[in-house]
Amino acid sequence: MFKKYIPHPTRREFFAIALLAAEIILFSIFVPNFANVNNFVRVIQNNTEVAIISIGMTIVMLLGGIDLSVGAVMGVVAVVTGNMIQAEMNTVLIILAAAAIGILVGAVNGLIIAKLHIPDMLTTLATSNVWKAVIFGLLGGKWLTSLKPSFRGITTAKVAGIPVLLFLVLGVYAVFYYVFMYRKYGRHIYAIGCNEDAAVLSGINVAKVRFISYCLTGALAGLTGLLYIARMGSVEMTIGSNTAIQCIAAVTIGGIGAKGSGMRGSVIGTLAGVFFIGFLKNGIVIMGIPSLLENFFVGMLMIICVLFDSVSGMRRSSKTAEKGAK
Amino acid sequence: MKKLVLSLAKSRAKFLAVLLVVEIIILSIMNPEFAKINNLIEILQFGATLFLMAVGEALVIIVIPGGIDISIGSIMSLSCVVLGITYQNSGNMPIALLATLIAGGLFGVVNGILVGFFNMPSLIATLGTQYVFASLALYITNGVAISGFPDSFSWLSLETTLGIPNQILFLVIPVLIVVLFLVYRTRFGRNIYLTGNNSEAAKFAAIKTKWTIFFVFVLAGVLTAFGAIINCSWLMTARADAGSGMEMNAITVAMLGGISAVEGGRGHLSGVIVGTVLITMLKSGLQMAGINSTWILAITGIILLISIVMNNVMNKFIIKMSTD
Repeated sequence: MFKKYIPHPTRREFFAIALLAAEIILFSIFVPNFANVNNFVRVIQNNTEVAIISIGMTIVMLLGGIDLSVGAVMGVVAVVTGNMIQAEMNTVLIILAAAAIGILVGAVNGLIIAKLHIPDMLTTLATSNVWKAVIFGLLGGKWLTSLKPSFRGITTAKVAGIPVLLFLVLGVYAVFYYVFMYRKYGRHIYAIGCNEDAAVLSGINVAKVRFISYCLTGALAGLTGLLYIARMGSVEMTIGSNTAIQCIAAVTIGGIGAKGSGMRGSVIGTLAGVFFIGFLKNGIVIMGIPSLLENFFVGMLMIICVLFDSVSGMRRSSKTAEKGAK
Repeated sequence: MKKLVLSLAKSRAKFLAVLLVVEIIILSIMNPEFAKINNLIEILQFGATLFLMAVGEALVIIVIPGGIDISIGSIMSLSCVVLGITYQNSGNMPIALLATLIAGGLFGVVNGILVGFFNMPSLIATLGTQYVFASLALYITNGVAISGFPDSFSWLSLETTLGIPNQILFLVIPVLIVVLFLVYRTRFGRNIYLTGNNSEAAKFAAIKTKWTIFFVFVLAGVLTAFGAIINCSWLMTARADAGSGMEMNAITVAMLGGISAVEGGRGHLSGVIVGTVLITMLKSGLQMAGINSTWILAITGIILLISIVMNNVMNKFIIKMSTD
């Protein structure tokens, strides 16, 4: 009865998982000090935020869009909740506030994109700059430091040697995998991503789905802001400046993002992508390669993956055309 | 009256010119020093780099429906670094300048190959190259600004001829004439518009759409390298983060200039020219009023959104007026 709920990755997702496995094996063989439990735990802890925001990015990229403002949204929430934590407010209130601000900020994106029909990349590029200014204005040039929220234990807690954060990430991914595969909202995402006109004709409220997706992305980014505070204990001006690229790269490694990739793929590929980048960055640091080159490798990886998908997509479409000609 | 309104709505350059006059009046009321003709001309030089980059960006947006080039800010940074490094190593300015232009073109080639020949979405391809170029620029310089350009290099950006800043007279205007000729008087220019408007039809008209997209990206890269040269000569240093945020400004100017973000092949470069002046004046006015640069970036973002909405509204308005 539960057999159908067992995850069934696509071929492209198996490829992403294989990439991740190959990377871990190669690093373990060739990079000393890589293969030990402490290091793996550290990688998992450091990538929780990207992992959770990447779910939102997967949704908007499946819809054929993009969200460049996730880092700034995370920053805004972190600044506001950081101030609340300093004022020693109730934890439940803080968590609710984080979610509320995230949804609100996401709703701004969603309204502009879905109702005013402004291309998503331009909308989110513009709003991310606006939020950056808001972060700057709220911080006033100073850092928020030595924040001690009551939930900071979650980032270091372990059950049977496995960090709790890994369970959190896997839990959230399982929920969203279920939503993607078996709920109406999830199926609508794929329908719109594959063929928006067909989705409209079949009675899907495209604007509504798009709006909800951006709200959801905002909420995820907002809650991640709390995780960031819990892990770092401080909020700085440049918070979230690399988040968007990392999420987009993770999603593209998972197989979503190229034209004609047929909008296959789900959060499984994204999860593999997140940890692929996480272990790559970790390996780079251990090997002693300057961290200034970190973004170089992430950018290259992203280009190579989308290139691979684009070329195979082109080949697939030309094969289909040949069949049609016969 | 109706004719006047329609002509204003149809030609973005005219519309922006009216806005520009209004803007100058408002800024002069706020600060009487602003309206002096010397000040107005001097402000133009701040926009030289932005203008060259915005033209490249506008052409990219024209040639691909929904296309964009986010990497030009990083291309500018890396071109600055190339200029600094080649001058440091060769000590020969003309060679360094040539190397910078070639490097800018090569960075454009990378984008052009990815988007034109491998059919990658322009946003994702240039987002990737943005990070690659930016991190290369940081890695090469280790984050330290390169200085030590010869004093004569400042001639380009810090001196004037006949009261007009040199970079406008000797760089922006000649480049502008060449680009306008290329886009509006040659077959290549028509190919750009047709490829953007309907790439299927362009293919059937025997236009090499892939090569057209490729060359537009290369052109954007070269124009950005020109911008980098102006910037280096102005600051007399080559900074690895010189171009950060420039792509945002360039996109804003292109959108303000009436280049359509959704459909390709729409919009005229004249709007971009006036749009650059408008944005540059606004930024200097705000700087004179003592507003922080982060807020100016936020204001640019809001202008970007407003101008895209304006593009949509204007299109509807024109259709309505013409059918009446």
